[in-house]
Amino acid sequence: MKSKGFVKHYVLMLLPGYAWVIVFCVIPMFGIAIAFQDFNPVRGILGSKWSGLDTFEYMFQLDDTKTIFVNTLFIACMKIVGNLIVPLTFALMLNELRITILKRSIQTIVYLPHFLSWVILGGIVLDLFSYTGPVNQLLALFGAEPAVFFAKAPLFPYLVVGSDIWKDFGFNTIIYLAAMTGINPALYEAHAIDGGGRIKALWHITLPGIRTTVALLAVLSLGNVLNAGFDQIFNLYNPLVYSTGDIIDTWVYRAGLLDLQYELATAVGLLKSVIGLILISISYVLAYRFTNYRIF
Amino acid sequence: MKKGFLTVLAAALIVSVSACSGNGGDEQAKGPDRESPGTEASGSGKTGEDAPGQTIDPFGKYDQLVTMSTGQCIDPTAQDTLGPGETPSDNVYTRAIEQEMNIKTTSYWTVACTNLDQKVSLAIASNDLPDAMKVNKVQLREMVESGQLEEMTEAVKYASPFIQEAWKTTNGEAMASATFDGKLMAIPGVGSSDGALHNLWIRKDWLDKLGLELPKTLDDLEKVAKAFVEQDPDGNGKADTIGIMGTDANDPLYPTFLEGTEKGLGSIFYAKNAYPGYWVKGSDGSAVYGSIQPETKEALSVLRKWYAEGLIDPQVGVRKDDNEPIVAGKAGIFFQALWAAYTPLTDAWKNDPKANWQSYALPLDANGKWNQTVNAPTVEWLVAKKGFKHPEAVMKLANYRMAKGDHFEEDLGVEGSNMPLRTSFDRRDQMTAIAKLIKGVFEEGQPKETLDVDFEPALYPDDYNKYVQVKKKPYDNYDIQNWNLEDMAGFTRMYVRVVGSRPLMDPNRNDVESLIWEQTPTMTKRWANLMKLESETFYKIILGSAPLDSFDQFVESWKRQGGDQITKEVQDFLKQ
Repeated sequence: MKSKGFVKHYVLMLLPGYAWVIVFCVIPMFGIAIAFQDFNPVRGILGSKWSGLDTFEYMFQLDDTKTIFVNTLFIACMKIVGNLIVPLTFALMLNELRITILKRSIQTIVYLPHFLSWVILGGIVLDLFSYTGPVNQLLALFGAEPAVFFAKAPLFPYLVVGSDIWKDFGFNTIIYLAAMTGINPALYEAHAIDGGGRIKALWHITLPGIRTTVALLAVLSLGNVLNAGFDQIFNLYNPLVYSTGDIIDTWVYRAGLLDLQYELATAVGLLKSVIGLILISISYVLAYRFTNYRIF
Repeated sequence: MKKGFLTVLAAALIVSVSACSGNGGDEQAKGPDRESPGTEASGSGKTGEDAPGQTIDPFGKYDQLVTMSTGQCIDPTAQDTLGPGETPSDNVYTRAIEQEMNIKTTSYWTVACTNLDQKVSLAIASNDLPDAMKVNKVQLREMVESGQLEEMTEAVKYASPFIQEAWKTTNGEAMASATFDGKLMAIPGVGSSDGALHNLWIRKDWLDKLGLELPKTLDDLEKVAKAFVEQDPDGNGKADTIGIMGTDANDPLYPTFLEGTEKGLGSIFYAKNAYPGYWVKGSDGSAVYGSIQPETKEALSVLRKWYAEGLIDPQVGVRKDDNEPIVAGKAGIFFQALWAAYTPLTDAWKNDPKANWQSYALPLDANGKWNQTVNAPTVEWLVAKKGFKHPEAVMKLANYRMAKGDHFEEDLGVEGSNMPLRTSFDRRDQMTAIAKLIKGVFEEGQPKETLDVDFEPALYPDDYNKYVQVKKKPYDNYDIQNWNLEDMAGFTRMYVRVVGSRPLMDPNRNDVESLIWEQTPTMTKRWANLMKLESETFYKIILGSAPLDSFDQFVESWKRQGGDQITKEVQDFLKQ
């Protein structure tokens, strides 16, 4: 009797969660049907005519489709690598800093950008790299010609990745620093008694100590590969850099909302989801292999 | 796993907002239709056939108050021009409409004008529409196909004589653009064709200072632009001047048969006899698309060279606002219609009243012709939501704006975007006619009464007095020192009609029309992606990030991705 009541309360607690999933996740799934239809907003999904795989055929004909998938993968992979290496290095350096006040203030300053939205931060980045902006003025001191950075397609992905790292590395550093405080101080003491230096301590104690955290974060971020960051790119890009900067989400936004090509936008979005599902499954398996982390 | 779900859904969500609506609607619009009912039926000046039990009076007052919700775009700076307690949907203009015609406009939504297209598209997709709004071609077609619109065939009978005249000057094109399966589904606006030709605007004081001649050909233009960049025409000792202004990020490189531009570099293409974005006659007489012709490649090579030499704004295509360097007195040349005397030049003169901006019918092509593409007759349509009881109220609103709107704008200073559904209904040849009249009176000794024509609102009887006020003698010298800038509004108004319109009377003027102003069935599906391919390739070539020969590859991709099919459809359409 007692345990039955217990289970009942458990189920009740889950209800809001289920409701959320159903309303916001399951019901909108029917929207996928648009990709197979000659969609008409007034008739809705139930009333529109079916068009089979026509949209997908057209989608694979478009040069854009390949471009945006390549761009998305490229930008996202660079972001994952950059967002792993930079904060890790920074955390290791900060950990070696013995002056607490300096350490704390640096921490605070570098994580501030994390709390600004891309609308604001995007404006700042655009200004920094503008034709008359500080970066060009700095380069001019070395005799370089001013450049329009955000008109250069080959450069754009790097500016995106760079600014993304700038925004979040301070915040990610905190995670690593937290992991480092979890390392048993006795190890360092033993190391010091044995006559080891700080570099060796870093290499043999600190790094192995946070190994699982690093691996876990790396593996989990794999699932996010296809989300290369709509907010950021939408605020930074312009038609001149579509060829290297257009990602799936920004393309779907323009095709679907601005050009009213509902079917095409849904089809591309669906393709993205299918690939995303595969990647997430892979990362899930990897997470289990390397760090023994699993949800189910 | 939940994440996988979410990714799927995030994408689906974008479009699924619209999923749960559905009140039916008839399927229409199988393609463009050249019939044009309405104008022909109702003679000019007369009221046309009466609807049963109701007399047609374009300015008549309703017995009972008619409320109409509108979608309105607001220029953020327009707020400053409103009086205390006034709003975009409740101001001296809307109250006048309410008083004189018993039509009350309310605001269903307002949005910044830069986001208007997006807002309208969203409203269409979610079927959450105001009673009346202004849409573009793609949106109109989408709404017709979805059955979201009230028919306008009856409503246009209320058009004022002035608007009917304007429609007539388009040879039925305006009406055809709004007609689907023989039914008129929207009220088409009309833009004057000569009000969209892009003059060469140039700082004549800079030319004089550097001892340069007015540039006639592209080669001359190159030399002048080079001098403007290198010889410090503003005399501040810094190399900070721009030769030729390009476009900003919101404006296309050149106008197309569907869409105009504010500035753009179309004139350079036209001087090479290239007409990108337009459907023109090819060498064999059949319709071809200008962007894929060899002349376009030639023009691109010129622009590419100029950009590499720094003659064109280095920030072409990415600049946030291409008016800014002009206002700041840092640019010497740009291409824009005669309206440039309003924006950006009004602000430029506020900074520097000596800036002698003049406009000319230049540059010329190899045969000495000033080629300019003509804009589409209609680029904006007024529509009423299906089920709205008084579609003719939309028409009446347009009548009112054309008859009295300028009074509110010019005399009372109501900013245009604070006037709901403000749309232009100009005669196609309006600006040329006005320019000729003014020239006739002030330089050829015609009596001043010839100015009293029914060209309202572009010309007032009062304009004679205004002209005498702002223009110093001699009347045939238009340099800035011969103008009186104290009454800035009056001055710019006349400057548009005299200096801005001067190129329209040029004997070298050669208007190039598009053979088609409609979208064919394949175009509605593929055009957006083809245009994107086009503008990306052209920008890359100009900025030097792709070789000139990538043009050939573009032509091939363009044809493969639907261009060949579209060309065939256009040719078939023209054979009918």
